[in-house]
Amino acid sequence: MHENYLAKWLANELTAEELEIFQKSDEFASYQKIIKTSEGLKEPSFNMDKALSDSTLKRNTKRTKVIAMHPFKRLMRIAAAVALLFTGTYFYFNSQSNTVETALAENTSLLLPDASEVLLNADSELSYTEKHWETNRDIKLQGEAFFKVAKGQQFTVATANGRVQVLGTQFNVKSRKDFFEVTCYEGLVRVSYDRKTIELPAGTSFLVLYGKVIDSQPTKMLEPSWIRNESTFKSIPLSFVLNELERQYNVTIDAKKIDLSTLFTGSFSHKDLDLALRSICQPTQLNFNLEGNKVLLYAKNAP
Amino acid sequence: MSAKDENVCKEEIYKSIFTAHSKTIFNYIYYKFGNEEKAYDAVQEAFLKLWENCAKVSPTKAKSFVYTIAQNLYLNVLKAEKVRLKYADDTLRVTNESPEYLLEEKQFQEKLNKALSDLPENQRTTFLLNRIDGKKYAEIAEIENVSIKAIEKRMHLALKTLRSKIEGI
Repeated sequence: MHENYLAKWLANELTAEELEIFQKSDEFASYQKIIKTSEGLKEPSFNMDKALSDSTLKRNTKRTKVIAMHPFKRLMRIAAAVALLFTGTYFYFNSQSNTVETALAENTSLLLPDASEVLLNADSELSYTEKHWETNRDIKLQGEAFFKVAKGQQFTVATANGRVQVLGTQFNVKSRKDFFEVTCYEGLVRVSYDRKTIELPAGTSFLVLYGKVIDSQPTKMLEPSWIRNESTFKSIPLSFVLNELERQYNVTIDAKKIDLSTLFTGSFSHKDLDLALRSICQPTQLNFNLEGNKVLLYAKNAP
Repeated sequence: MSAKDENVCKEEIYKSIFTAHSKTIFNYIYYKFGNEEKAYDAVQEAFLKLWENCAKVSPTKAKSFVYTIAQNLYLNVLKAEKVRLKYADDTLRVTNESPEYLLEEKQFQEKLNKALSDLPENQRTTFLLNRIDGKKYAEIAEIENVSIKAIEKRMHLALKTLRSKIEGI
């Protein structure tokens, strides 16, 4: 039998003798079935009219491009200029810092590019650059913020009072006039202040008042209280407490007649001004008078 | 009209070449790679190149020109996908066959389809060009740029492979 007899069979090129032998073989029936079934195969769908019109369209557009050289060149120049402008703007803005601000009586939360979380307390400002964020996590802060830092490279918070460096932890930074406080809730925080570096383990705070480092008590809390709309103080001069009250409620406090160096321990709510004033005044033996957004504070025994 | 006047740049010559070969090119690339979109693009690309070179390619050379372009387009680039062919819908055909027989037929069709998609690309292409497109071995040999004998070999092997795949030998 021919070496490619199956191919020959399909092309009707077998001799009568060869065909007879093949038809008698066991395999013949199955080959016949394969060929019969494959007759039912449909060819893939091809729309020739569409293909032809697509093809005509394509070659015409190509040809136009070749002939119309000059308007195209001019267009290219414009396109190049626009592209340059866009790239320039892109890089400019990319190296620009992102800034988030909160007004009085407002707080906000934001996610940094590495999914670190920041909660920003009232009257604060935070800025950072997105460029090279993975290797250079630098943040500038004015005011108070609570950080939940994702694990990664060094994370630095720079304030007017000092710098705070961590690798991945939860901590709160409060940097106000004459007041600088860092509290670490998880991990380890390194604070640089006045050419000194202090390491804060979880549950401890670092406090500076009027440029003087104050020994502070360890905290048992897991996050700062202001996140739950409450400000808490431990032996803090009244002036800072009242400043915080002003920030949280956007009110002006007149406290000329009282001693602002009195130490205050306690907390006040951010939701109810009347309640907050009472929380401050009762333990400090003060009276208050609330009119619009002005608060007058005076001593109880005053006339 | 003398042979010299015939030029692919002439619209009707181009059109006739397109009508004669676009479908087979499409099928051929589809049998090879199992991707209709890519097959369509290959047709477009091949004829665009033909048009761009219409002054240089004589109508007699046009056929092998477009095939070569289409073939080379995906050479070593495209990974073959499963070739999925449908069967002509014969449910409307009046039949007095038993349901068992029809079911068996259907199962056989599925087996054949699977065996076809598992065939080596050159065997499948030869088999389908011959069976579906009705191309003679000589034509397939021209398309594939090999001898007729080589095509016969592929055809023979294709059938053998299909049988052993289907019957599980």
